[in-house]
Amino acid sequence: MLENYKNKFIPLILPIVLILIWHGITDGLELFSSYILPSPMDVVNSAWVVIENGKLLTNTIDTLYKVFAGLICASIVAIPAGILLGWYKTLEDLCTFVISVLRPIPPVAWIPFSILWFGIGTFPAVFIIFMGCVFPILVYTIDGVKRTDKVLVESAQTLGANDWNVLKRVVVPSTVPYIVSGLKVGIGIALMCTISAEMIGSSSGLGYMILTATNLFDTGTTVVGMIVIGLIGLAFDFVFSRAQDKIFW
Amino acid sequence: MSIEVKNINKTFKSKKTDQLSVLENINLTINDGELICLLGPSGCGKTTLLRLIAGLEQPTSGEIVANGEVVKKPSGDRAVIFQQYSLFPWLTVLQNVTFGLEMTKKGSKAENIAAAERYLTSVGLIDFKDSYPHELSGGMKQRVAIIRSLLNHSPILLMDEPFSAVDMQNRHSLQEQLIGVWKRFENTIVFVTHDVDEAVYLADKIVILDKNPGRIAKIVEVDIERPRKRESPEFIALQESIVQQLNMED
Ligand SMILES: Nc1ncnc2c1ncn2[C@@H]1O[C@H](COP(=O)(O)OP(=O)(O)OP(=O)(O)O)[C@@H](O)[C@H]1O
Ligand SMILES: [Mg+2]
Repeated sequence: MLENYKNKFIPLILPIVLILIWHGITDGLELFSSYILPSPMDVVNSAWVVIENGKLLTNTIDTLYKVFAGLICASIVAIPAGILLGWYKTLEDLCTFVISVLRPIPPVAWIPFSILWFGIGTFPAVFIIFMGCVFPILVYTIDGVKRTDKVLVESAQTLGANDWNVLKRVVVPSTVPYIVSGLKVGIGIALMCTISAEMIGSSSGLGYMILTATNLFDTGTTVVGMIVIGLIGLAFDFVFSRAQDKIFW
Repeated sequence: MSIEVKNINKTFKSKKTDQLSVLENINLTINDGELICLLGPSGCGKTTLLRLIAGLEQPTSGEIVANGEVVKKPSGDRAVIFQQYSLFPWLTVLQNVTFGLEMTKKGSKAENIAAAERYLTSVGLIDFKDSYPHELSGGMKQRVAIIRSLLNHSPILLMDEPFSAVDMQNRHSLQEQLIGVWKRFENTIVFVTHDVDEAVYLADKIVILDKNPGRIAKIVEVDIERPRKRESPEFIALQESIVQQLNMED
Protein backbone atom coordinates (compact mmCIF):
# COMPACT_ATOMS: atom_id res chain seq x y z
CA MET A 1 0.00 0.00 0.00
CA LEU A 2 2.56 2.51 1.24
CA GLU A 3 4.99 1.30 -1.44
CA ASN A 4 2.39 2.08 -4.08
CA TYR A 5 1.95 5.63 -2.89
CA LYS A 6 5.69 6.12 -2.74
CA ASN A 7 6.14 5.00 -6.31
CA LYS A 8 3.38 7.28 -7.55
CA PHE A 9 4.93 10.33 -5.91
CA ILE A 10 8.57 9.76 -6.75
CA PRO A 11 8.29 11.18 -10.30
CA LEU A 12 6.73 14.38 -8.87
CA ILE A 13 9.53 15.18 -6.44
CA LEU A 14 12.06 16.47 -8.95
CA PRO A 15 9.69 18.81 -10.82
CA ILE A 16 8.56 20.36 -7.52
CA VAL A 17 12.16 20.84 -6.38
CA LEU A 18 13.10 22.40 -9.72
CA ILE A 19 10.17 24.81 -9.58
CA LEU A 20 11.12 25.80 -6.04
CA ILE A 21 14.73 26.48 -7.08
CA TRP A 22 13.47 28.37 -10.10
CA HIS A 23 11.21 30.43 -7.86
CA GLY A 24 14.09 31.01 -5.44
CA ILE A 25 16.53 32.43 -7.95
CA THR A 26 13.93 34.58 -9.73
CA ASP A 27 11.23 36.00 -7.46
CA GLY A 28 13.16 35.10 -4.31
CA LEU A 29 16.73 36.34 -4.86
CA GLU A 30 15.90 38.35 -7.99
CA LEU A 31 19.17 37.32 -9.65
CA PHE A 32 17.88 37.88 -13.18
CA SER A 33 15.61 40.38 -14.86
CA SER A 34 12.31 38.76 -15.77
CA TYR A 35 13.17 39.14 -19.48
CA ILE A 36 16.29 36.95 -19.16
CA LEU A 37 14.61 34.38 -16.93
CA PRO A 38 10.90 34.77 -16.19
CA SER A 39 9.78 33.51 -12.79
CA PRO A 40 7.18 30.76 -12.33
CA MET A 41 4.60 33.43 -11.52
CA ASP A 42 5.45 35.32 -14.73
CA VAL A 43 4.90 32.13 -16.64
CA VAL A 44 1.57 31.46 -14.92
CA ASN A 45 0.45 35.01 -15.69
CA SER A 46 1.49 34.70 -19.33
CA ALA A 47 -0.21 31.32 -19.54
CA TRP A 48 -3.39 32.86 -18.22
CA VAL A 49 -3.25 35.59 -20.84
CA VAL A 50 -2.72 33.24 -23.81
CA ILE A 51 -5.32 30.82 -22.52
CA GLU A 52 -7.88 33.57 -22.07
CA ASN A 53 -7.35 35.20 -25.46
CA GLY A 54 -7.41 31.74 -27.11
CA LYS A 55 -3.96 32.09 -28.70
CA LEU A 56 -2.56 29.05 -26.91
CA LEU A 57 -5.38 26.82 -28.08
CA THR A 58 -5.37 27.98 -31.72
CA ASN A 59 -1.58 27.76 -31.98
CA THR A 60 -1.49 24.33 -30.33
CA ILE A 61 -4.17 23.03 -32.66
CA ASP A 62 -2.31 24.55 -35.59
CA THR A 63 0.93 22.82 -34.62
CA LEU A 64 -0.78 19.48 -33.97
CA TYR A 65 -2.54 19.74 -37.30
CA LYS A 66 0.78 20.15 -39.10
CA VAL A 67 2.38 17.32 -37.14
CA PHE A 68 -0.42 14.93 -38.04
CA ALA A 69 -0.60 16.04 -41.66
CA GLY A 70 3.15 15.52 -42.09
CA LEU A 71 3.13 12.25 -40.24
CA ILE A 72 0.19 10.88 -42.20
CA CYS A 73 1.76 11.86 -45.54
CA ALA A 74 5.03 10.28 -44.47
CA SER A 75 3.25 7.08 -43.35
CA ILE A 76 1.33 6.81 -46.60
CA VAL A 77 4.63 6.87 -48.48
CA ALA A 78 6.98 5.13 -46.07
CA ILE A 79 4.94 2.15 -44.86
CA PRO A 80 4.03 0.66 -48.26
CA ALA A 81 7.46 1.57 -49.63
CA GLY A 82 9.14 -0.01 -46.63
CA ILE A 83 7.17 -3.22 -47.05
CA LEU A 84 8.11 -3.45 -50.72
CA LEU A 85 11.76 -2.56 -50.17
CA GLY A 86 12.03 -5.01 -47.30
CA TRP A 87 10.46 -7.79 -49.32
CA TYR A 88 12.06 -7.32 -52.73
CA LYS A 89 15.83 -7.35 -52.38
CA THR A 90 16.51 -5.88 -55.83
CA LEU A 91 14.21 -2.96 -55.14
CA GLU A 92 16.12 -2.28 -51.93
CA ASP A 93 19.47 -2.51 -53.70
CA LEU A 94 18.14 -0.04 -56.23
CA CYS A 95 17.10 2.52 -53.60
CA THR A 96 19.56 1.99 -50.80
CA PHE A 97 22.14 4.55 -51.98
CA VAL A 98 19.63 7.34 -52.45
CA ILE A 99 18.05 6.63 -49.08
CA SER A 100 21.39 6.55 -47.29
CA VAL A 101 22.34 9.92 -48.72
CA LEU A 102 19.02 11.67 -48.14
CA ARG A 103 18.50 10.28 -44.65
CA PRO A 104 21.26 12.12 -42.75
CA ILE A 105 20.24 15.54 -44.14
CA PRO A 106 18.65 17.37 -41.20
CA PRO A 107 15.02 18.17 -41.99
CA VAL A 108 15.58 21.86 -41.28
CA ALA A 109 18.06 21.95 -44.17
CA TRP A 110 15.00 21.63 -46.40
CA ILE A 111 13.54 24.89 -45.05
CA PRO A 112 14.96 27.13 -47.82
CA PHE A 113 13.50 24.93 -50.53
CA SER A 114 10.25 24.44 -48.68
CA ILE A 115 9.80 28.22 -48.66
CA LEU A 116 10.79 28.53 -52.32
CA TRP A 117 8.43 25.77 -53.36
CA PHE A 118 5.51 26.23 -51.00
CA GLY A 119 5.77 29.82 -49.78
CA ILE A 120 4.78 30.58 -46.20
CA GLY A 121 2.13 28.87 -44.10
CA THR A 122 1.07 25.30 -43.49
CA PHE A 123 2.42 23.57 -46.60
CA PRO A 124 6.13 24.24 -46.14
CA ALA A 125 5.92 23.09 -42.52
CA VAL A 126 4.13 19.88 -43.52
CA PHE A 127 6.83 19.31 -46.12
CA ILE A 128 9.60 19.68 -43.52
CA ILE A 129 7.81 17.29 -41.18
CA PHE A 130 7.36 14.85 -44.02
CA MET A 131 11.08 14.95 -44.78
CA GLY A 132 11.82 14.49 -41.09
CA CYS A 133 9.74 11.42 -40.40
CA VAL A 134 9.60 9.62 -43.73
CA PHE A 135 13.03 8.05 -43.27
CA PRO A 136 12.69 6.71 -39.73
CA ILE A 137 9.34 5.14 -40.61
CA LEU A 138 10.78 3.72 -43.83
CA VAL A 139 13.85 2.27 -42.16
CA TYR A 140 11.90 0.74 -39.28
CA THR A 141 9.41 -0.81 -41.69
CA ILE A 142 12.14 -2.30 -43.89
CA ASP A 143 13.82 -3.70 -40.81
CA GLY A 144 10.54 -5.17 -39.57
CA VAL A 145 9.85 -6.91 -42.87
CA LYS A 146 13.33 -8.40 -42.89
CA ARG A 147 12.89 -9.72 -39.39
CA THR A 148 9.74 -11.63 -40.31
CA ASP A 149 10.14 -15.12 -38.90
CA LYS A 150 11.05 -17.40 -41.80
CA VAL A 151 9.15 -20.30 -40.25
CA LEU A 152 5.93 -18.28 -40.37
CA VAL A 153 6.41 -17.46 -44.04
CA GLU A 154 7.14 -21.10 -44.83
CA SER A 155 4.18 -22.29 -42.76
CA ALA A 156 1.89 -20.04 -44.74
CA GLN A 157 3.35 -21.30 -48.02
CA THR A 158 2.87 -24.94 -47.08
CA LEU A 159 -0.69 -24.12 -46.03
CA GLY A 160 -1.33 -22.97 -49.58
CA ALA A 161 -0.76 -19.20 -49.37
CA ASN A 162 0.41 -17.50 -52.55
CA ASP A 163 2.99 -14.67 -52.53
CA TRP A 164 0.38 -11.97 -52.14
CA ASN A 165 -1.22 -13.71 -49.18
CA VAL A 166 2.16 -14.29 -47.56
CA LEU A 167 2.81 -10.57 -47.81
CA LYS A 168 -0.64 -9.53 -46.63
CA ARG A 169 -1.33 -12.14 -43.97
CA VAL A 170 2.15 -12.80 -42.58
CA VAL A 171 4.69 -10.12 -43.42
CA VAL A 172 2.48 -7.11 -42.77
CA PRO A 173 1.10 -8.19 -39.38
CA SER A 174 4.51 -9.28 -38.18
CA THR A 175 5.89 -5.86 -39.16
CA VAL A 176 3.27 -3.90 -37.21
CA PRO A 177 5.31 -3.60 -34.00
CA TYR A 178 8.23 -2.18 -35.97
CA ILE A 179 5.96 0.27 -37.75
CA VAL A 180 4.64 1.47 -34.40
CA SER A 181 8.22 2.00 -33.21
CA GLY A 182 8.96 3.91 -36.39
CA LEU A 183 5.91 6.13 -35.87
CA LYS A 184 6.96 6.78 -32.28
CA VAL A 185 10.38 7.96 -33.42
CA GLY A 186 8.79 9.82 -36.33
CA ILE A 187 6.40 11.78 -34.17
CA GLY A 188 9.23 13.00 -31.93
CA ILE A 189 11.12 14.24 -34.97
CA ALA A 190 7.93 15.72 -36.42
CA LEU A 191 7.38 17.81 -33.32
CA MET A 192 10.93 19.18 -33.46
CA CYS A 193 10.65 19.91 -37.17
CA THR A 194 7.34 21.68 -36.75
CA ILE A 195 8.63 24.11 -34.20
CA SER A 196 11.77 24.88 -36.23
CA ALA A 197 9.74 25.32 -39.39
CA GLU A 198 7.25 27.60 -37.65
CA MET A 199 10.06 29.79 -36.36
CA ILE A 200 11.35 30.39 -39.85
CA GLY A 201 8.63 30.35 -42.45
CA SER A 202 5.30 30.52 -40.73
CA SER A 203 2.68 32.83 -39.27
CA SER A 204 1.00 30.46 -36.84
CA GLY A 205 1.70 27.61 -34.48
CA LEU A 206 3.55 27.21 -31.20
CA GLY A 207 6.94 27.92 -32.80
CA TYR A 208 5.60 31.17 -34.21
CA MET A 209 4.03 32.02 -30.84
CA ILE A 210 7.36 31.45 -29.07
CA LEU A 211 9.30 33.57 -31.53
CA THR A 212 6.90 36.53 -31.61
CA ALA A 213 6.57 36.52 -27.81
CA THR A 214 10.36 36.65 -27.43
CA ASN A 215 10.57 39.54 -29.91
CA LEU A 216 8.03 41.38 -27.76
CA PHE A 217 10.08 40.75 -24.59
CA ASP A 218 7.30 38.48 -23.34
CA THR A 219 9.51 35.53 -22.39
CA GLY A 220 6.86 34.21 -20.00
CA THR A 221 4.85 33.19 -23.06
CA THR A 222 8.00 31.70 -24.59
CA VAL A 223 8.26 29.36 -21.62
CA VAL A 224 4.54 28.54 -21.84
CA GLY A 225 5.07 27.48 -25.45
CA MET A 226 8.06 25.35 -24.54
CA ILE A 227 6.20 23.59 -21.74
CA VAL A 228 3.22 22.85 -24.00
CA ILE A 229 5.54 21.30 -26.58
CA GLY A 230 7.04 19.13 -23.89
CA LEU A 231 3.61 18.02 -22.71
CA ILE A 232 2.50 17.18 -26.24
CA GLY A 233 5.59 14.99 -26.62
CA LEU A 234 4.82 13.31 -23.32
CA ALA A 235 1.24 12.61 -24.39
CA PHE A 236 2.35 11.04 -27.67
CA ASP A 237 4.89 8.91 -25.91
CA PHE A 238 2.24 7.69 -23.52
CA VAL A 239 -0.16 6.78 -26.32
CA PHE A 240 2.48 4.93 -28.31
CA SER A 241 3.81 3.07 -25.30
CA ARG A 242 0.27 1.92 -24.61
CA ALA A 243 -0.08 0.79 -28.22
CA GLN A 244 3.19 -1.13 -27.96
CA ASP A 245 2.00 -2.86 -24.80
CA LYS A 246 -1.12 -3.97 -26.63
CA ILE A 247 0.96 -5.62 -29.35
CA PHE A 248 2.31 -8.81 -27.89
CA TRP A 249 3.99 -10.49 -30.81
CA MET B 1 0.11 -39.19 -53.13
CA SER B 2 3.39 -40.95 -53.68
CA ILE B 3 6.78 -39.31 -53.37
CA GLU B 4 9.92 -40.24 -55.23
CA VAL B 5 13.29 -39.01 -54.09
CA LYS B 6 15.72 -39.51 -56.96
CA ASN B 7 19.50 -39.24 -56.57
CA ILE B 8 19.31 -36.29 -54.25
CA ASN B 9 22.49 -34.48 -53.30
CA LYS B 10 22.46 -31.39 -51.17
CA THR B 11 25.42 -29.24 -50.29
CA PHE B 12 25.34 -25.98 -48.39
CA LYS B 13 27.87 -23.23 -48.75
CA SER B 14 29.48 -22.75 -45.39
CA LYS B 15 32.03 -20.26 -44.12
CA LYS B 16 34.59 -22.62 -42.62
CA THR B 17 34.85 -25.21 -45.34
CA ASP B 18 33.75 -24.19 -48.79
CA GLN B 19 31.06 -26.78 -49.20
CA LEU B 20 29.17 -28.76 -46.64
CA SER B 21 27.73 -31.92 -48.12
CA VAL B 22 24.64 -32.69 -46.09
CA LEU B 23 22.86 -35.32 -48.16
CA GLU B 24 24.49 -37.71 -50.60
CA ASN B 25 22.78 -39.88 -53.12
CA ILE B 26 19.43 -40.29 -51.47
CA ASN B 27 17.01 -42.57 -53.29
CA LEU B 28 13.69 -43.30 -51.71
CA THR B 29 10.23 -44.24 -52.85
CA ILE B 30 7.34 -43.42 -50.56
CA ASN B 31 4.11 -45.03 -51.65
CA ASP B 32 0.72 -43.42 -51.48
CA GLY B 33 -0.69 -43.72 -47.98
CA GLU B 34 2.53 -44.88 -46.41
CA LEU B 35 3.85 -43.68 -43.06
CA ILE B 36 7.62 -43.35 -43.18
CA CYS B 37 9.88 -42.42 -40.30
CA LEU B 38 13.23 -40.75 -40.89
CA LEU B 39 15.50 -41.73 -38.05
CA GLY B 40 19.04 -40.58 -37.41
CA PRO B 41 21.39 -38.67 -35.14
CA SER B 42 21.26 -34.91 -34.77
CA GLY B 43 22.69 -33.07 -37.76
CA CYS B 44 22.40 -35.96 -40.21
CA GLY B 45 20.12 -34.02 -42.54
CA LYS B 46 16.62 -35.14 -41.58
CA THR B 47 15.20 -31.64 -41.59
CA THR B 48 17.01 -30.88 -44.83
CA LEU B 49 15.49 -33.89 -46.55
CA LEU B 50 12.04 -32.94 -45.30
CA ARG B 51 12.47 -29.37 -46.53
CA LEU B 52 13.53 -30.66 -49.93
CA ILE B 53 10.39 -32.77 -50.16
CA ALA B 54 8.31 -29.76 -49.10
CA GLY B 55 9.90 -27.61 -51.82
CA LEU B 56 11.27 -25.14 -49.28
CA GLU B 57 14.80 -25.99 -50.41
CA GLN B 58 16.15 -26.97 -53.82
CA PRO B 59 18.46 -29.99 -54.25
CA THR B 60 21.98 -29.45 -55.54
CA SER B 61 21.34 -32.34 -57.91
CA GLY B 62 18.63 -34.92 -58.41
CA GLU B 63 14.90 -34.38 -58.19
CA ILE B 64 11.87 -35.05 -56.08
CA VAL B 65 8.64 -36.07 -57.71
CA ALA B 66 5.38 -35.82 -55.79
CA ASN B 67 2.24 -37.15 -57.43
CA GLY B 68 3.95 -37.25 -60.80
CA GLU B 69 5.21 -33.67 -60.68
CA VAL B 70 8.71 -32.40 -59.96
CA VAL B 71 8.71 -30.40 -56.73
CA LYS B 72 9.80 -26.83 -57.47
CA LYS B 73 8.18 -24.78 -54.73
CA PRO B 74 6.07 -25.23 -51.61
CA SER B 75 2.40 -26.07 -52.02
CA GLY B 76 -0.66 -26.67 -49.89
CA ASP B 77 -0.52 -30.31 -50.99
CA ARG B 78 2.48 -30.89 -48.78
CA ALA B 79 1.84 -29.61 -45.27
CA VAL B 80 4.84 -29.18 -43.00
CA ILE B 81 4.79 -29.34 -39.24
CA PHE B 82 7.99 -27.63 -38.24
CA GLN B 83 10.43 -28.52 -35.51
CA GLN B 84 10.10 -24.96 -34.16
CA TYR B 85 6.86 -23.32 -33.12
CA SER B 86 5.15 -21.93 -36.15
CA LEU B 87 1.78 -20.52 -35.12
CA PHE B 88 0.95 -16.98 -36.16
CA PRO B 89 1.24 -15.03 -32.91
CA TRP B 90 -1.26 -12.35 -33.96
CA LEU B 91 -4.04 -14.86 -34.64
CA THR B 92 -6.12 -16.76 -32.12
CA VAL B 93 -5.99 -20.55 -32.02
CA LEU B 94 -9.16 -20.76 -34.10
CA GLN B 95 -7.90 -18.23 -36.66
CA ASN B 96 -4.61 -20.09 -36.89
CA VAL B 97 -6.34 -23.36 -37.49
CA THR B 98 -8.57 -22.04 -40.29
CA PHE B 99 -5.72 -20.16 -42.01
CA GLY B 100 -5.02 -22.87 -44.58
CA LEU B 101 -8.69 -23.25 -45.46
CA GLU B 102 -8.91 -19.53 -46.14
CA MET B 103 -5.82 -19.68 -48.35
CA THR B 104 -7.09 -22.60 -50.42
CA LYS B 105 -10.68 -21.32 -50.31
CA LYS B 106 -11.93 -24.77 -49.50
CA GLY B 107 -15.19 -24.16 -47.69
CA SER B 108 -17.53 -21.45 -46.48
CA LYS B 109 -16.50 -19.54 -43.38
CA ALA B 110 -19.11 -21.22 -41.19
CA GLU B 111 -18.16 -24.68 -42.42
CA ASN B 112 -14.49 -24.02 -41.76
CA ILE B 113 -15.12 -22.82 -38.24
CA ALA B 114 -17.34 -25.79 -37.51
CA ALA B 115 -14.67 -28.19 -38.80
CA ALA B 116 -11.96 -26.41 -36.83
CA GLU B 117 -14.00 -26.60 -33.65
CA ARG B 118 -14.60 -30.30 -34.19
CA TYR B 119 -10.87 -30.91 -34.54
CA LEU B 120 -10.00 -28.76 -31.56
CA THR B 121 -12.52 -30.64 -29.47
CA SER B 122 -10.97 -33.95 -30.46
CA VAL B 123 -7.59 -32.96 -29.02
CA GLY B 124 -9.06 -31.22 -25.97
CA LEU B 125 -8.18 -27.69 -27.01
CA ILE B 126 -11.63 -26.29 -27.67
CA ASP B 127 -11.55 -24.17 -24.50
CA PHE B 128 -8.50 -22.38 -25.91
CA LYS B 129 -9.95 -21.51 -29.29
CA ASP B 130 -9.93 -17.78 -28.55
CA SER B 131 -6.53 -17.81 -26.85
CA TYR B 132 -3.40 -16.50 -28.49
CA PRO B 133 -0.39 -18.79 -29.03
CA HIS B 134 1.68 -17.10 -26.33
CA GLU B 135 -0.92 -18.23 -23.82
CA LEU B 136 -0.37 -21.92 -24.67
CA SER B 137 2.23 -24.41 -23.51
CA GLY B 138 4.77 -25.81 -25.97
CA GLY B 139 2.91 -29.08 -26.40
CA MET B 140 -0.39 -27.30 -26.94
CA LYS B 141 1.14 -25.08 -29.62
CA GLN B 142 2.43 -28.13 -31.44
CA ARG B 143 -0.99 -29.78 -31.31
CA VAL B 144 -2.60 -26.66 -32.75
CA ALA B 145 0.01 -26.63 -35.54
CA ILE B 146 -0.81 -30.26 -36.34
CA ILE B 147 -4.53 -29.54 -36.46
CA ARG B 148 -3.87 -26.54 -38.68
CA SER B 149 -2.22 -28.86 -41.21
CA LEU B 150 -4.69 -31.71 -40.84
CA LEU B 151 -7.67 -29.47 -41.40
CA ASN B 152 -6.25 -28.51 -44.76
CA HIS B 153 -6.52 -32.16 -45.85
CA SER B 154 -3.10 -32.03 -47.41
CA PRO B 155 -2.50 -35.44 -48.94
CA ILE B 156 1.11 -35.32 -47.76
CA LEU B 157 2.10 -34.50 -44.19
CA LEU B 158 5.74 -33.75 -43.47
CA MET B 159 6.33 -33.75 -39.74
CA ASP B 160 9.62 -32.68 -38.18
CA GLU B 161 9.94 -34.06 -34.65
CA PRO B 162 6.50 -32.68 -33.82
CA PHE B 163 6.21 -34.36 -30.43
CA SER B 164 9.68 -33.72 -29.07
CA ALA B 165 8.45 -30.89 -26.82
CA VAL B 166 5.71 -33.02 -25.30
CA ASP B 167 5.96 -35.20 -22.19
CA MET B 168 5.91 -38.95 -22.64
CA GLN B 169 2.31 -39.58 -21.68
CA ASN B 170 0.97 -36.92 -24.01
CA ARG B 171 3.36 -38.04 -26.69
CA HIS B 172 1.95 -41.56 -26.61
CA SER B 173 -1.58 -40.24 -26.87
CA LEU B 174 -0.63 -37.93 -29.77
CA GLN B 175 1.04 -40.82 -31.58
CA GLU B 176 -2.14 -42.81 -31.21
CA GLN B 177 -4.21 -39.90 -32.50
CA LEU B 178 -1.89 -39.48 -35.45
CA ILE B 179 -2.39 -43.12 -36.40
CA GLY B 180 -6.15 -42.56 -36.14
CA VAL B 181 -6.02 -39.53 -38.42
CA TRP B 182 -3.75 -41.27 -40.88
CA LYS B 183 -6.09 -44.26 -41.11
CA ARG B 184 -9.07 -42.01 -41.62
CA PHE B 185 -7.61 -39.68 -44.23
CA GLU B 186 -5.07 -42.06 -45.76
CA ASN B 187 -2.41 -39.35 -45.98
CA THR B 188 1.13 -40.05 -46.95
CA ILE B 189 3.24 -39.14 -43.92
CA VAL B 190 6.96 -38.51 -43.57
CA PHE B 191 7.73 -38.29 -39.89
CA VAL B 192 11.16 -37.21 -38.63
CA THR B 193 12.27 -38.37 -35.23
CA HIS B 194 15.36 -39.39 -33.33
CA ASP B 195 13.32 -41.43 -30.89
CA VAL B 196 13.56 -45.13 -31.80
CA ASP B 197 10.46 -46.02 -29.80
CA GLU B 198 8.44 -43.44 -31.67
CA ALA B 199 9.66 -44.70 -35.04
CA VAL B 200 8.83 -48.32 -34.26
CA TYR B 201 5.41 -47.37 -32.95
CA LEU B 202 4.42 -45.29 -35.96
CA ALA B 203 6.18 -46.38 -39.11
CA ASP B 204 5.44 -48.70 -41.98
CA LYS B 205 9.07 -48.21 -42.95
CA ILE B 206 11.94 -46.74 -40.98
CA VAL B 207 14.62 -44.98 -43.00
CA ILE B 208 17.82 -44.84 -40.99
CA LEU B 209 20.19 -42.06 -41.99
CA ASP B 210 23.96 -41.90 -41.52
CA LYS B 211 25.79 -38.79 -40.53
CA ASN B 212 28.51 -36.84 -42.37
CA PRO B 213 27.44 -37.01 -45.09
CA GLY B 214 23.80 -38.01 -44.72
CA ARG B 215 23.20 -41.26 -46.54
CA ILE B 216 20.56 -43.91 -46.21
CA ALA B 217 22.13 -46.56 -43.97
CA LYS B 218 19.24 -48.96 -43.93
CA ILE B 219 15.53 -49.19 -44.59
CA VAL B 220 13.63 -51.31 -42.09
CA GLU B 221 10.13 -52.57 -42.83
CA VAL B 222 7.97 -52.72 -39.72
CA ASP B 223 5.58 -55.63 -39.99
CA ILE B 224 4.08 -55.37 -36.53
CA GLU B 225 0.32 -55.29 -36.57
CA ARG B 226 -1.51 -52.19 -35.35
CA PRO B 227 -2.44 -51.22 -32.71
CA ARG B 228 1.12 -51.87 -31.63
CA LYS B 229 1.94 -52.83 -28.09
CA ARG B 230 5.17 -51.44 -26.70
CA GLU B 231 5.59 -54.40 -24.35
CA SER B 232 5.20 -57.04 -27.10
CA PRO B 233 8.36 -59.10 -27.78
CA GLU B 234 8.50 -58.23 -31.47
CA PHE B 235 8.30 -54.51 -30.66
CA ILE B 236 11.14 -54.75 -28.16
CA ALA B 237 13.23 -56.92 -30.47
CA LEU B 238 12.91 -54.51 -33.39
CA GLN B 239 13.64 -51.56 -31.16
CA GLU B 240 16.85 -53.22 -29.95
CA SER B 241 18.07 -54.12 -33.40
CA ILE B 242 17.58 -50.52 -34.54
CA VAL B 243 19.40 -49.14 -31.52
CA GLN B 244 22.25 -51.48 -32.38
CA GLN B 245 22.24 -50.30 -35.97
CA LEU B 246 22.45 -46.68 -34.80
CA ASN B 247 25.28 -47.44 -32.38
CA MET B 248 27.22 -49.14 -35.11
CA GLU B 249 27.31 -45.88 -36.99
CA ASP B 250 29.12 -44.01 -34.24
N1 LIG C 1 20.60 -23.33 -44.53
C1 LIG C 1 21.71 -24.00 -44.17
N2 LIG C 1 22.93 -23.48 -44.45
C2 LIG C 1 24.05 -24.13 -44.09
N3 LIG C 1 24.08 -25.30 -43.45
C3 LIG C 1 22.90 -25.88 -43.15
C4 LIG C 1 21.66 -25.25 -43.47
N4 LIG C 1 20.65 -26.04 -43.04
C5 LIG C 1 21.24 -27.11 -42.46
N5 LIG C 1 22.59 -27.04 -42.53
C6 LIG C 1 23.54 -28.04 -42.03
O1 LIG C 1 23.13 -29.29 -42.50
C7 LIG C 1 23.32 -30.29 -41.53
C8 LIG C 1 22.03 -31.06 -41.34
O2 LIG C 1 21.06 -30.22 -40.76
P1 LIG C 1 19.59 -30.70 -40.46
O3 LIG C 1 18.87 -29.57 -39.84
O4 LIG C 1 18.98 -31.27 -41.68
O5 LIG C 1 19.83 -31.85 -39.39
P2 LIG C 1 18.76 -32.73 -38.58
O6 LIG C 1 19.02 -34.14 -38.91
O7 LIG C 1 17.40 -32.23 -38.79
O8 LIG C 1 19.22 -32.48 -37.07
P3 LIG C 1 18.32 -32.38 -35.73
O9 LIG C 1 17.96 -33.78 -35.35
O10 LIG C 1 19.25 -31.76 -34.76
O11 LIG C 1 17.15 -31.53 -36.04
C9 LIG C 1 23.84 -29.61 -40.30
O12 LIG C 1 25.22 -29.81 -40.22
C10 LIG C 1 23.52 -28.16 -40.52
O13 LIG C 1 24.51 -27.35 -39.94
MG1 LIG D 1 15.99 -31.21 -37.60
